[in-house]
Amino acid sequence: MEITREDLKHLADLSNFSMSDEELDSLQPDLQKIVGYISELGELNTDGVEPTYQVFEMENVWRDDEIKEMEADREALLNLTVEEKENQIKVPKVL
Amino acid sequence: MKYIPTIGIECHVQLCTKTKLFSEVDNDARGKEPNSCVSPVDYALPGMLPRLNGEAIKFAIRAGRAMNCKINAYSRFDRKHYFYPDSPKGYQITQFYHPIIGEGYVELPSGTKIRIEHAHLEGDAGKLTHSDTYSLVDLNRVDTPLIEIVSMPDIHSAADARDYTKELWRLMTFAKVTFGDLYNGNMRFDVNVSLAEEGATELGTRTETKNLNSFRSVEHAVEFEIKRQTKLLEKGEKIRQETRGWNDATGESTPQRSKEEAKDYRYMPEPDLPPINLSQEFIDAESAKLPLMPADYRKKFAGLIPVETIEILLDYPVLVEKLAEVDEKYTKRIANLFSSVLLAEENASLLNDDMPSKAQLEKLADMLDKNELSSTGGKEVFIKFFDKEMHFKDTETIAKELGVVQENDAGALEAIVDAVLKKPETQKAQEDYRNGEQKVIGFLVGQVMKESHGKANPSAVQEILKNKLA
Repeated sequence: MEITREDLKHLADLSNFSMSDEELDSLQPDLQKIVGYISELGELNTDGVEPTYQVFEMENVWRDDEIKEMEADREALLNLTVEEKENQIKVPKVL
Repeated sequence: MKYIPTIGIECHVQLCTKTKLFSEVDNDARGKEPNSCVSPVDYALPGMLPRLNGEAIKFAIRAGRAMNCKINAYSRFDRKHYFYPDSPKGYQITQFYHPIIGEGYVELPSGTKIRIEHAHLEGDAGKLTHSDTYSLVDLNRVDTPLIEIVSMPDIHSAADARDYTKELWRLMTFAKVTFGDLYNGNMRFDVNVSLAEEGATELGTRTETKNLNSFRSVEHAVEFEIKRQTKLLEKGEKIRQETRGWNDATGESTPQRSKEEAKDYRYMPEPDLPPINLSQEFIDAESAKLPLMPADYRKKFAGLIPVETIEILLDYPVLVEKLAEVDEKYTKRIANLFSSVLLAEENASLLNDDMPSKAQLEKLADMLDKNELSSTGGKEVFIKFFDKEMHFKDTETIAKELGVVQENDAGALEAIVDAVLKKPETQKAQEDYRNGEQKVIGFLVGQVMKESHGKANPSAVQEILKNKLA
């Protein structure tokens, strides 16, 4: 499978990364190698093999519906933000 | 050319569990400060792990059973990736491949059945408020449990789309899995609309109008889309597959995203949440907790109250549940009081107060039956049931305090009638009546009512007067 420059741009867009041309140039062959390496797995015959979602074989792990006091509250959250306004996180306009 | 619309609806229902789907913070953010119901799990600090709320699974089972759906023993969660400020994790935890709720159907009041494709559990996103130059993020809603209900494209008119969403609202509120507060976005609808020529075997290109939050906007958005697409098709143009946003103020929708920018969600299994594998006993036990549903109440009240009244009352689960408590012989009277008094606009606020007790209501109906209260007096007493001072008093006490108990005792009434007939100002009326002017009986009844300070039963008074003047 070939990773094109367009694929890389698309992936960057999806994750909201801005990338310079130089970065795209250097990442493209790297990613191509990684995907090539992984794609060797595609040569195996996996017909009828159930995908492995987890290796612990745990099931039905859930908790009770009871409110617990959290140590990290609004203040902790807002302290992490670049900018806040009216107790909300201020971000560049999105729509 | 005649075009047949085909409509499928996705509905998001916020579940009213105490805590969120993956964290142990307060899930009821109504009226609370922005970002006050958040935990590090919700705002995705590195290393935070989701912990599944078992109650949400139980709620999902009840919601599924309310829609006659099969409950899947095996279900699990996936990550749906997208980058947007309303989702600090960068992905939504949802059930893409193995939803907990399988196929079922919702029956509309008209009898039309709309099939449910599936419904799944997922976490809600945060709330964005946009201004001219920036957006504000409130994460209170992040990971509020949702079930997303996906219908089959079985709907073919705007009216059915409205009825379907309304029936879903009823099912979910009667099942007590949501507060059902549409104004606060507890239920939100996305409608997919396409048109095809009559007799065509393939569906047309569809558009999706997102985030509708009332039955009326669902109906109007579908009407708008049918008209818009019809116009385009008649001009020979193609429909563009796109997402549209509805504006209630203008009554129009506008395109938001087109297919070229279609999202690439890169679904993958959620590694932090082991799968759910429910025993049949667990599913049965939760299913058994489903309270009576609208269809059950329709059957229960059939023949006792008119269908139209039943349908109106079904919009108020608390009234229907109360009505079901009272003895059947009083159902009609109480239903009338509910629909004529409580649902009158000026009394709408009473619906937020505590309901009267079964005993209060039955006694009220009994007193009305026995003419111990006039219909006006009955309404006055009924309204006082909601008064904080009166709420705990019994019906008779309230009626006496209001002075609205009717005098039915024949002896007592006769004495008052005799007194009125002796008055000089009634002599002419009596003469006129005897001369065949029947209308004046109204004047005489009025005099008696006045004499009794409004407590006499007017029809009993009329009978006595007629006998005396015969």
